Amino acid sequence: MIEIKGSAPFTQYALAGVPDLEAASRWMNARTAPKSPESLVCETRDIFTARLPHLKSFVGNGLSENILPLVISTTGEIGNNSFDHNLGQWRDVSGCWFESQVTGRHLWICIADRGQGIFQSLVKVHPHLADEQAALHAAFETVISGRMPEQRGNGLKFVRKIVTTTPGGGIACVSGTGRVFYGEQGERCATLLGQYFSEVKGTATLMIWRLP
Amino acid sequence: MKVELKKFGEILTSRPAGREAGLAIKAYFKPEPGDRIELDFSGVLAVGPSWLDEVLTVLRSEYGKERVICLPSENASVSESLRIIEKQSDTP
Repeated sequence: MIEIKGSAPFTQYALAGVPDLEAASRWMNARTAPKSPESLVCETRDIFTARLPHLKSFVGNGLSENILPLVISTTGEIGNNSFDHNLGQWRDVSGCWFESQVTGRHLWICIADRGQGIFQSLVKVHPHLADEQAALHAAFETVISGRMPEQRGNGLKFVRKIVTTTPGGGIACVSGTGRVFYGEQGERCATLLGQYFSEVKGTATLMIWRLP
Repeated sequence: MKVELKKFGEILTSRPAGREAGLAIKAYFKPEPGDRIELDFSGVLAVGPSWLDEVLTVLRSEYGKERVICLPSENASVSESLRIIEKQSDTP
């Protein structure tokens, strides 16, 4: 089965499957960022924001119009986090890998960045966090932000709530040596991520939504 | 006074955009004393808590919590975003 990725003028035709996690991992973990397909890497928040409406096209592939707003808002939270928490802290190039596709009655969304990682973002203002694993749990399960004293820190809790209360939903996130997963298909996402992102610099997230 | 949020975009997710929207509403919408600001989500496709939190923070600091109202919406991203924001604001 052939699937279409991206949009004109950067349309790519690929064999069906989950997002190209190997390519995302290569881009994320390279010592210096390699040249990447412009259709998959959003160098600025504006580019990421401009590509969010592309998710609407999956309604034609079976994504429910009732779920679409939740898919867009959770994807927006995760992608915007890359820019919110790495401003002035990128390892080299700014931006995030943003890939989405429908395969086998599932919508897959992968977002990864070459940023400082969640632990480094949080530990500066929350020095009690023991390690990368604790930081990831705190990020998804408590109201916490690396941008104190700004009143932030509810975005990833929102994402976890939506994914865990949506039948067939799942999310996994790796940052440094930390790894968390939530939702009915969270472990499946974690297994896939684990094949390519065992110890990463930056943060990588994989979400899955079951289509009716 | 009703504010049609669709005029700020179909997809409303980022904090910087939310802060800009809040400041723009504060600048261009001038409710009469005692009048409420009603945020209307009709025509908006998706909202994130980060965007909405910034808008509400700006407006509520100016007009108070009671005068800034989110009109009911069937859009799940609106109701879920509001729920988590209100839960956080109720946490001591």
